[in-house]
Amino acid sequence: MIGWILIGLVVLIIGTFIYYYNRFVILGNRIENSLAQIDVQLKKRADLVPALVKVVKGYASHEKKIMDSVTKARADMLKAGNIASKIKAGDKLQAALGKIFAIAENYPDLKANENFLQLQTELSAIEDKVAYARQFYNDSVLYLENASESFPGVFFFKLFGRQKKEYLKIPESSKEMPEIDL
Amino acid sequence: MVDRISFHDQISRNKWKSFFLIIIIFLVFLVLGYVISLATDPGLFFVIMIASIIISILYILVSYYNSDKIALASVSAKPAERRQYPQYYNSVEGLTLASGMPMPKLYVMENSQINAFASGRDPEHAVICVTTGTLEKLNKQELEGVLGHELSHVANFDIRFMTLVAVMVGMIAIISQLFLRSLWFRGGNRDDKKGNAIFMLVGIILAILAPIVVQLVQLAISRKREYAADASAVKFIRSPTGLIGALKKIKNEHVPTQETKKINKAVAPLFISDPFKKRLENLTSTHPSIEKRIEVLEKM
Repeated sequence: MIGWILIGLVVLIIGTFIYYYNRFVILGNRIENSLAQIDVQLKKRADLVPALVKVVKGYASHEKKIMDSVTKARADMLKAGNIASKIKAGDKLQAALGKIFAIAENYPDLKANENFLQLQTELSAIEDKVAYARQFYNDSVLYLENASESFPGVFFFKLFGRQKKEYLKIPESSKEMPEIDL
Repeated sequence: MVDRISFHDQISRNKWKSFFLIIIIFLVFLVLGYVISLATDPGLFFVIMIASIIISILYILVSYYNSDKIALASVSAKPAERRQYPQYYNSVEGLTLASGMPMPKLYVMENSQINAFASGRDPEHAVICVTTGTLEKLNKQELEGVLGHELSHVANFDIRFMTLVAVMVGMIAIISQLFLRSLWFRGGNRDDKKGNAIFMLVGIILAILAPIVVQLVQLAISRKREYAADASAVKFIRSPTGLIGALKKIKNEHVPTQETKKINKAVAPLFISDPFKKRLENLTSTHPSIEKRIEVLEKM
């Protein structure tokens, strides 16, 4: 009789180990996947930059400083090695693009240009998707945090030597309030 | 502020409740079959049960694997071209990124009423369909709210469940019909006439009540899931504003009746709002009242 109980306990314990191991694997993979998704969107955005630069140069050729900052930000993004630096570079690119669309307000011909409008719509759509991808990444990190800090997951987490991930923060530039010239 | 209750809880609660409800429906089916067989001829018991089990399994398999095609065909939906509907595609893509779900196939149906539905047995085989009216009348945020609601139905496994329940209802209705019909050509003499009559009576009552009860259960499940889909949509979008705006527009719409006739009653529960526009929420509505849904969303 006691033999059966012992066997049952062993099965239960092994089962718990397996459950938590798998859970952390799944949550970790989900986070990796969400980073990859962010990367996809960032790349799409970077790909649109040359076309945008071309169109804007046609109407606002003397806005050299901004055009250069955009081009440089894009180059940085493409050079970036790991995903963390890609995201940082992507934030810089986002800020630079924001400046372009702000100054476009002063050039009505540019604003009316069809190519420009289409690029603006596409870039705006990509912005939304980047935001959603980041949201999903942060949600996934939250799940992992909850699983790895609550009981008894906290033991298994240390046991399997897994690592926590960091949240993505809002880029500094978008926190700044735009100056409104009245 | 969205309360950070884990929606994970909500989904697993839904899945458990669905599981138990399906068991209850299945038990109703068994009891019904048992009583019917006692009331008619015990010898026929196995024949009746086996026949109905075979028929229902076939029925389940066909509807489960083809639910999306059936639903789309019933409303003459056409695949949506990305070039024609970029906003539609961008909104759904954003939502799939926020939810970590695969991209469903997108369809459009001709109808000036604001409405949408989702179908498909799991997220990998999902389809979403919106009316042309939706794309014309809603702004970007409101469209996102509606699409979020539909995608949530897919994510919460509502559709698989709704299909299973619809199938159970069908099964029980078929058995009840078989029984009521068999009353007309009576077989089986039994010695205990009085006992026989009592069983008959109980059998008849069950045969009439069972489909009604199951239909009510199906409706109750359907309504709860509509609230859950609203909540999940807010989870993905992080703001109830769009969905509230869309529901308000739906509420204030004036609908020409010819178009409503084109919609098959069977797919009505799949839509975001009742295409037949019942005034009051009661036991027979497939959707909770729009006012209540707006109220719940505004509290978020």
